[in-house]
Amino acid sequence: MTWYDVYAIFQGAVFTVAISLASIVIGLPLGLGFALIRWSRIPVLDRIVVVYVSVIRASPAVTLALLIFFALPVVGISMGAVTAAIVTLTLSTATFNTEIWRGALMSFPSDQLESARAFGMPRALRFRRIVFPQILHSALPALVNEMTLQVKSSPAIAVLGLVDITRAASRVGARTYDPLPPFVVALVLYSLIVAVFVMSQRFIERRRAAELEAAR
Amino acid sequence: MIPPMDAAEAPVVLAAHGISKSFGANTVLTDMELTVRKGETVCLLGPSGSGKSTFLRCLNWLEEPDAGSVLLKGQRIGVRASGNIVMSDGELAAIRTRIGMVFQHFALWPHLTVLQNVMEAPIHVQRRDKAEVRREAEALLERVGIADKAGQYPARLSGGQKQRVGIARALAMKPDLLLFDEPTSALDPELVGEVLAVMKDLAREGMTMVVVTHEMAFARDVASRVVFLDRGRIVESGSPEEFFTRPKTDRAKQFLLRYSAQ
Ligand SMILES: Nc1ncnc2c1ncn2[C@@H]1O[C@H](COP(=O)(O)OP(=O)(O)OP(=O)(O)O)[C@@H](O)[C@H]1O
Ligand SMILES: [Mg+2]
Repeated sequence: MTWYDVYAIFQGAVFTVAISLASIVIGLPLGLGFALIRWSRIPVLDRIVVVYVSVIRASPAVTLALLIFFALPVVGISMGAVTAAIVTLTLSTATFNTEIWRGALMSFPSDQLESARAFGMPRALRFRRIVFPQILHSALPALVNEMTLQVKSSPAIAVLGLVDITRAASRVGARTYDPLPPFVVALVLYSLIVAVFVMSQRFIERRRAAELEAAR
Repeated sequence: MIPPMDAAEAPVVLAAHGISKSFGANTVLTDMELTVRKGETVCLLGPSGSGKSTFLRCLNWLEEPDAGSVLLKGQRIGVRASGNIVMSDGELAAIRTRIGMVFQHFALWPHLTVLQNVMEAPIHVQRRDKAEVRREAEALLERVGIADKAGQYPARLSGGQKQRVGIARALAMKPDLLLFDEPTSALDPELVGEVLAVMKDLAREGMTMVVVTHEMAFARDVASRVVFLDRGRIVESGSPEEFFTRPKTDRAKQFLLRYSAQ
């Protein structure tokens, strides 16, 4: 294995990070939106979200990727492999985020909502000022956990011919007839990526704790 | 104790007519009437489950009554002036800014400091000037005796302190009317006095208040009128003097007996 091979795997890592981040950035608010639809029991939409979540959650990422890439053109929606990959990962992470946000919303203390109502806060303001800042903190650990799972399910998009960490590593392994080193490199890179997520979560939690401490 | 203005002539702040409410088959309120004039402190008394909280919550439409009307200074709450259309969330919110509420379990917002709790609605709901709101909020915290806790989060306060924040938060809206739902029931006995003292001051200063309470001494000493309800109906209504010394109905007598026995 040469330095060029390491570089190739590293490029795969950049791709993995890029599509994971894209799907996380879109999937977080999307999941929150779906959770809000369910929480406010908006008729019809509510049922649609339930069906969406149960179907996508049951579907393996590989299957979903192939479905989106090959089946959607049949109904007139066609997209490039990268777009299809991002859509796949976004839809999949959004369903898990929906459940996480919904859990946080369901366990939100109703007396606080009631006092917000009594103090004349309309629905949107209640959510923005009272609910969101608190559920963000209660949901954060689960959300970060989902982000790391998301990174780990990203190799599925290799079926679309895209080269992520795992695909890059197996290519190197196939060419050099020595698969062990490239996969060790791959594992190290995954660990680094996940470590960044976990560290940023710890950072946010420490900052929050410091804030509370300062207010003593 | 008696407000400076002659209570019978003071303008009507709140008028509730024919309020009825059921939860499924359970009829909780039947044809409730209440008129509150400016500067009055009306205490709502009654056994547990008699509908006191539900009635109070109907007054600001946190609970939608099945029948009846509520008017705040002549303006209908919950239903638009033109016809029978129920108000939107936003319209209700606008009216609720004029009615302060203090909750049994405080219902403070734990992610905000004491000062921020008090400033939240005036700034974000009433959209008043931040510097001015801040000055007023600090003065209110001073008034309820917790100016030194302004920068703390509610979790660090005792129950009595939390409730005093709750009162300051309600006052910060400069409401026409304050509603209290058992403001001292969740407190340790030794903390009840500090909250009642603040409420007593408010009553003396002419705040208009409706107070659900089990504190008989407070009702006797502070109320300008006592309303006794049982099973969702008003059974007696009159001066505290009259109610506590010469209750007219058996139900009121039994109720009072239980409290004097404690
Ligand atoms: N949201 C609700 N859904 C169904 N029933 C309710 C609801 N809120 C209140 N009730 C019922 O209405 C009745 C009156 O309740 P309410 O809380 O108004 O009584 P209360 O006089 O405030 O009692 P307490 O002194 O115990 O606070 C009770 O039977 C209660 O079970
Ligand atoms: Mg009650």
